[in-house]
Amino acid sequence: MTTLVQIQEIEKSFPLSGSDTYLALKGIDLQIRKGEFISLIGHSGCGKSTLLNMIAGLDLPTGGTVLVDGEVVRRPGPDKMVVFQNYSLLPWLSVRENIALAVDEVMPDLPKAERDAVIDDHIAMVGLGPASHKRPAELSGGMRQRVAIARALAIKPKLLLLDEPFGALDALTRGNLQEKLMQICNEHALTAVMVTHDVDEAVFLSDRIVMLTNGPGSVIGGILEVDLPRPRQRLSVVHHPSYYSLRSEIIYFLNRQKRVKQWQAKPHKVLARHGLEKVNLDLGFVPLAACAPLAVAQAKGFFSKHGLDAVQLVRETSWRGVTDGLVDGTLDAALMPSGMPAWMTAGGHGGPPLPVVSSLTLSRNGNGITLARRLADQGVHNVDDYRRYLLSHQREPHRLGIVHPASMHNLLLRYWLASHAIDPDHDVHLQTIPPAQMLADLKDGSLDGFCIGAPWLDRAQADGHGFTVAGDLAIWPGHPGKVLGVREDWALAYPNTHIALTKALLEACQYCAEPSHWGELSELLSDRRYLGMKKEVIWFSETGADGSSTVPHHLFFGKGVNRPSRSEHLWILTQLARWGEIPFPRNYVEILERICAVGVFSTAARELGLDAVSYQRGPIELFDGRPFDVDHPIDYLNAVSVHRDFSVAEIALGAPRPLAG
Amino acid sequence: MTTSTNSTSSRSDRSPTGLPLWWKQTRKAFLPPLFGIGGFLLFWQLSATLGLTKLAGPLSLFTEERTRELLFYPFFDRGGLDKGLFLHAMNSLSRVALGYTLAAVVGIAVGIAVGLNKALDRALDPLFQFLRMVAPLAWVPIALVLFQNNQPAAIFVIFVTSIWPILINTAEGVRQIPQDYRNVALVLQMSNRNFFTKVLIPSALPYIFTGLRISIGLAWLAIIAAEIVMPGTPGIGFFIWDAYQNSYVSDIILGVIWIGAIGLLLDRLMVWLQNRIAAGQ
Repeated sequence: MTTLVQIQEIEKSFPLSGSDTYLALKGIDLQIRKGEFISLIGHSGCGKSTLLNMIAGLDLPTGGTVLVDGEVVRRPGPDKMVVFQNYSLLPWLSVRENIALAVDEVMPDLPKAERDAVIDDHIAMVGLGPASHKRPAELSGGMRQRVAIARALAIKPKLLLLDEPFGALDALTRGNLQEKLMQICNEHALTAVMVTHDVDEAVFLSDRIVMLTNGPGSVIGGILEVDLPRPRQRLSVVHHPSYYSLRSEIIYFLNRQKRVKQWQAKPHKVLARHGLEKVNLDLGFVPLAACAPLAVAQAKGFFSKHGLDAVQLVRETSWRGVTDGLVDGTLDAALMPSGMPAWMTAGGHGGPPLPVVSSLTLSRNGNGITLARRLADQGVHNVDDYRRYLLSHQREPHRLGIVHPASMHNLLLRYWLASHAIDPDHDVHLQTIPPAQMLADLKDGSLDGFCIGAPWLDRAQADGHGFTVAGDLAIWPGHPGKVLGVREDWALAYPNTHIALTKALLEACQYCAEPSHWGELSELLSDRRYLGMKKEVIWFSETGADGSSTVPHHLFFGKGVNRPSRSEHLWILTQLARWGEIPFPRNYVEILERICAVGVFSTAARELGLDAVSYQRGPIELFDGRPFDVDHPIDYLNAVSVHRDFSVAEIALGAPRPLAG
Repeated sequence: MTTSTNSTSSRSDRSPTGLPLWWKQTRKAFLPPLFGIGGFLLFWQLSATLGLTKLAGPLSLFTEERTRELLFYPFFDRGGLDKGLFLHAMNSLSRVALGYTLAAVVGIAVGIAVGLNKALDRALDPLFQFLRMVAPLAWVPIALVLFQNNQPAAIFVIFVTSIWPILINTAEGVRQIPQDYRNVALVLQMSNRNFFTKVLIPSALPYIFTGLRISIGLAWLAIIAAEIVMPGTPGIGFFIWDAYQNSYVSDIILGVIWIGAIGLLLDRLMVWLQNRIAAGQ
């Protein structure tokens, strides 16, 4: 396919009063192929309409160029026809006259009879034959927009530009018009660019969705390829497995933009008090049973006890929000999967490597692998049954859900599958989905199973849609679950705050580990600020909610539970490299030294009088009994039978330096 | 008004037909103004009869023989300035027609130019705002000096009084052309000529008509002023002035009634034109 539109390094600024300028867009680069349908999505004021106007030539960029069919766009023209949001019909002309105006203007050389035929064809195409003599004021909004579309298409543009074309219409009319537009675009192989606010509209219509960040200085925050097969039907498209992940991707992006905007709107002064460098902290977490220490530290006043009297817990819907929050500095610290510090430090999140420090392991265990109930009904009761099932049902897509590539769930699930001769990338398809979506997908059958933590795995069981095929105790008892993570530069800038935070959370962990507190924890976490679930599904004992058992489901506190462990992070590095998430760092010793803030932990534990917890754990050994030799990680990696191609590379982190300002 | 009467009649239990129905439907529209006008005339007549004022009452139109003749015979022409009131009015109207047409042509043309060109607008707007505040009567001496002749001077006074609302409204109408329409023209790469005839004029038309309607009233006001000050030209203004010189009070009243009636008719005419031409917007 050939490129029709090339947008190169576009920048647009508007003059403000005085000599100031407002930078609306910068560094926008986009290629649009012939026949492609592109949506521009973003919050109000992100410059998406400005971008459209620049493609149309109604507005000129202050930097960069737009090429349509190889020609620089300098002025508007009928080859780049625009369908405006408010229809822009001339009210003194009838439907037919409005379309005729455009056709007569653009095709003056065509004989009158042919022009008339073009006009009539397009009126019929949008189904407005009976209304062709009516004036716009006599038509409904949907009909007016159909006239505008007919007028645009009648002059045979190379490129159709739509500026929130259906924004002002009711849902039913909008749906009908979207289908009509898609049908027309398919039939005529039109190239179109549409500005929209509507996530579903974007997913339904587009080949690619361009997401713009907030202004000033909006950039392309991401481009999504919509892999839904065409022709698309409104009702069936929502059942496609990609639909919801695309949708949640966009919604995640928009929410993220909103959060950044809100964060920027607040003043962010560093409050130093009580000898601590910063006491106003934004702590990110994802609603899980393992977030209990954070909730307890807040509710029981452990933060304030250690001088952190302005801590705010920020609930993220996915781990991605935590990663992005640390990258852009909107979060001070976060509860994160134990693989995330190593993953981010090695640059697994896609940006430049960002050293992340962990001074505390907050929880261990509490995870499990769930398979769908319908598999059990077909005789799948253990992993060997599942392998046979996969072999006999090869043509079906076998999706398994994980919450994040760097989470222990992913690594354990992959390790478990691979040990049972199921290649986690070839035999099944591992997909990152938010937990709530996993339950829904498991229920409607588009997911074979998933590996997540409590309370989600218990809920699948309780709802009767899934069963636990392997608990984490059967895979790696005592594996690290969630850790506390901060940026290295943050830790260096606020060392006393870091220790205070570690102390507060370590004390909270101790509180969470006490069986007599579990009822209270369930109650606390059931609150809307945290999990927002019934407290009956949130439990902390291994046997369930009956309250009598004191065998813990999660390990929050104890000997060797909380101390950050270099060997565990090393094991995680090997596994991330094994599955191609990161190259294995040749300088892994340096990286581990920087990830594990053992000194911070030891200071915190000593000052709390909890010296006993700082003993190191024994060697790492998973259910298959293969020993992990911490001195030869590459040998360990080479010895496994199933792995992706991985490279060993030096990961340049630069010298540690504190956060500026 | 009509809808409210309709709904009242449909709500009543008895449904009259024919003449009673017509009366039922129209009495609300006609009775109040009838009472208002009747009351006013009665009060006027009473105050004149009782000698509260020197002004003759409305009945003097019929009681004074000269006035009665003028009232019933508007078309006579004894040559010179001794004409029926219809002919006087026609003289005035033709002057108005000339001055007003001139004002409309110049006003619309300049209005469009000013509306399209911001620099021109900024240059001329203070001047227009100033000139439009000058009363018609104040223009008379200037006009007389300028033209040295009653007839063109009278036309100039009408022109200069009635041009401003047309000009200012046209300019506003052009400025108010929605950006959407301009964008459509831009995207279609319309020629200037087509933009002018197919977008600009139709879009500004309601504004232009508003200006024209305000101006016709002003033009009619101006002609009376001009003729009163410039005697010796046949016209309704002169007629009133002449009657005043001769103390024919009832003639003055008749003249005033003619002026009011013609003014009203002109205004209705413009409304009718507006509805016909600029309909659907």
